[in-house]
Amino acid sequence: MADIEFDRVVVSRGSRRVLRGVSLAVAAGETVALVGRSGSGKTTLLRLVNRLLDPESGRVTVLGRDTTAWDPYALRRQIGYAIQEVGLFPHLTVAGNIAVVPRLLGWGEDRIRARVEELLALVGLDAGEVRDRWPDELSGGQRQRVGLARALAADPRVLLMDEPFGALDPITRADLHAEFRVLQDRLRRAVLLVTHDLSEAFALAGRVAVLHDGEVIACAPPDALAASDDPRVCALVETRFG
Amino acid sequence: MSALAAFLLSHRAEMAARLGEHVVLVAVSTLIAAAIAIPAGIVAARRPALGRPLVGLASLAQTIPSLALFGFLIPLPVLGGIGTRTALVALTVYAVLPIVRTTVAGLQAIDRAVIDCAVAMGMTPGQLLRRVELPLAFPSILAGVRVAAVVGVGTATIASAIGAGGLGDYIFRGLAMVDPVVILAGALPAALLALVADGALAVVGRLADQRQRAGRRRALAVLAAVLAPVAAVAAWLGAPGVRADVVVGSKNFTEQILLGEIVAQTLESRTELRVERRLNLGGTLVCDTALRAGDIDVYVEYTGTALTAIHRDEVGGDAASVFARVRERYADDGLTLLPRLGFNNTFAILVRRDQARALGLTRVSDLAAHAAQLTAGFGYEFLERPDGFAGLSRAYGLSFRTAPRVMDLTLIYRALAAGEIDVTAGDATSGLLEALGLVHLEDDRGYFPPYDAAPVARAATLLRHPEVNEALRWLEGRISAEAMRRMNHAVDGLRRDPAAVAREFLNGL
Repeated sequence: MADIEFDRVVVSRGSRRVLRGVSLAVAAGETVALVGRSGSGKTTLLRLVNRLLDPESGRVTVLGRDTTAWDPYALRRQIGYAIQEVGLFPHLTVAGNIAVVPRLLGWGEDRIRARVEELLALVGLDAGEVRDRWPDELSGGQRQRVGLARALAADPRVLLMDEPFGALDPITRADLHAEFRVLQDRLRRAVLLVTHDLSEAFALAGRVAVLHDGEVIACAPPDALAASDDPRVCALVETRFG
Repeated sequence: MSALAAFLLSHRAEMAARLGEHVVLVAVSTLIAAAIAIPAGIVAARRPALGRPLVGLASLAQTIPSLALFGFLIPLPVLGGIGTRTALVALTVYAVLPIVRTTVAGLQAIDRAVIDCAVAMGMTPGQLLRRVELPLAFPSILAGVRVAAVVGVGTATIASAIGAGGLGDYIFRGLAMVDPVVILAGALPAALLALVADGALAVVGRLADQRQRAGRRRALAVLAAVLAPVAAVAAWLGAPGVRADVVVGSKNFTEQILLGEIVAQTLESRTELRVERRLNLGGTLVCDTALRAGDIDVYVEYTGTALTAIHRDEVGGDAASVFARVRERYADDGLTLLPRLGFNNTFAILVRRDQARALGLTRVSDLAAHAAQLTAGFGYEFLERPDGFAGLSRAYGLSFRTAPRVMDLTLIYRALAAGEIDVTAGDATSGLLEALGLVHLEDDRGYFPPYDAAPVARAATLLRHPEVNEALRWLEGRISAEAMRRMNHAVDGLRRDPAAVAREFLNGL
């Protein structure tokens, strides 16, 4: 069974249908990218996984359990969450940011310290150098790496990423993409990734799901998607790759 | 400046006590306000529907002039009365708004993405508040606390009017004595205190913002070091102290302070009771309310004032019949008017001596012909009271050049002497009249009712301590208008201490 599973999920906001019966599964070791225009329902889909939202009908299952059966706080602490650089807490050091979820889970300080060292090494940062720095003292690339380390802190089996590598220069971004792929090969999490950028989706994901007007109109590996003859998918691909 | 230094030196101990009271008033009220305002701000930020009226209410409270707020609070049970408690309530009311505002602003200024992230990571609402929102809003909240403390230092000077002490005692005393040195002795330390409070809180903020655990610990230590003595003094003030047997009050002008001293010292020398002084309280209304509430047991009132301002009765009749009527009205309310002290402090219509000579003024009726060229100025009370300005202008057909200027009674003689105004109504017994070259026009149509000074006391106190009754009766007829004027002059003109002047007078009897 897949670690994340959407089964005919419907969500409305007011009178507007935001998701109209979406079904999608993300297995362990798999990275699925959600792409589509603004308002197509990408972020809504993400928010269903950590129960920031409940479906109106249909089911969302995480780690084999219906999300409505989970305690929302326990569920969220089982899920790694990485967002654009703004998501780092400005009043906490790098170490403090990474330690947020372990602290919520009540880990001991020794265990947390060891874990912070381990994670900083994993995302390619020198622990001695950055551990006690503040988010605004880091470069954009360093911040994204810390964000990733923080998402992985409690060793979650499921990882949600919302534009995690936005606002970076192309070279740093390519580096981070490469590092992410290596990491994912090693850790084999179920990763659901939202991005505006089709090239990022193609670089990171095993499958790309195209959301259009609240529906998944295509879900396929990058090369299959590029060969699609659905005009809506073609339009999306063309705007990205000219 | 050297006069100020000399005054401060000679009043060192008292100054320290007043300063201590002031700091406690501000610190305690600011802390209570923070304890109310920060949670209220959190609620307001979370639920604007609930928050907007909350902030509106705080803004409304902020617009009440401080003296008026003290006035509203005096008759209230539990929160009201006169003294420190009431002052703390009023100061707290004023301190709430700035803190609520900045708490709301600080919380609303936090980047949505940061909060979303914290929620997505599994924080409960409480954890979100403690670990993310409050730390991020801290600088903004602290800014509100700074504003509240600085404003509080200023407002607390007014607390003196209801007997809460503090540096305002010097300001009010200085106003009553028309002595700028005494005013400065209150105003200057208050201004310095405001600066110090603001600076100290800024340091706390900077220490907390150093982003080091050590820095935060240091800030907490500083805060604790500042608050511990304050809390200790507050606890000491709040502890039920030795309750005096009799509390003597007075209004807020020199003659009243002298009379308060005379009554207090008489009770001290002629009874074994513990006497407490709550002098310089405020106007007639404050004293009367305090007497009825049991916050004071006795103060000296004037028969005409009691009849018109307190009992809302018609003016008229001779001195003896006015006294009898007032005595009856007080008795209905459980208060006892004791025998008259011996002088009539009637309203005196005053003009400058040179002008009186130039225009040939000796009686109030002489004014009518010249009123159109003259400017009048009066204290707040005189404009409002039934035996005040409106009746006077009717009785004498006076129509002044402009509407009368309104100012504090204590400043009015100076304004008259300086030519800012030409006519005022003052105290016939004021010691300043001679010193400032002012003359008293004869009330030739008998407009003003008699204002015979007499102590008024709570009947219950007199029953409990019959010796108080006896001691106050001993004062009957012992203070002549001439003696009163001399004592007023000794304080206002010669800048002598009221307690010493009162003691000398009593020793001379």
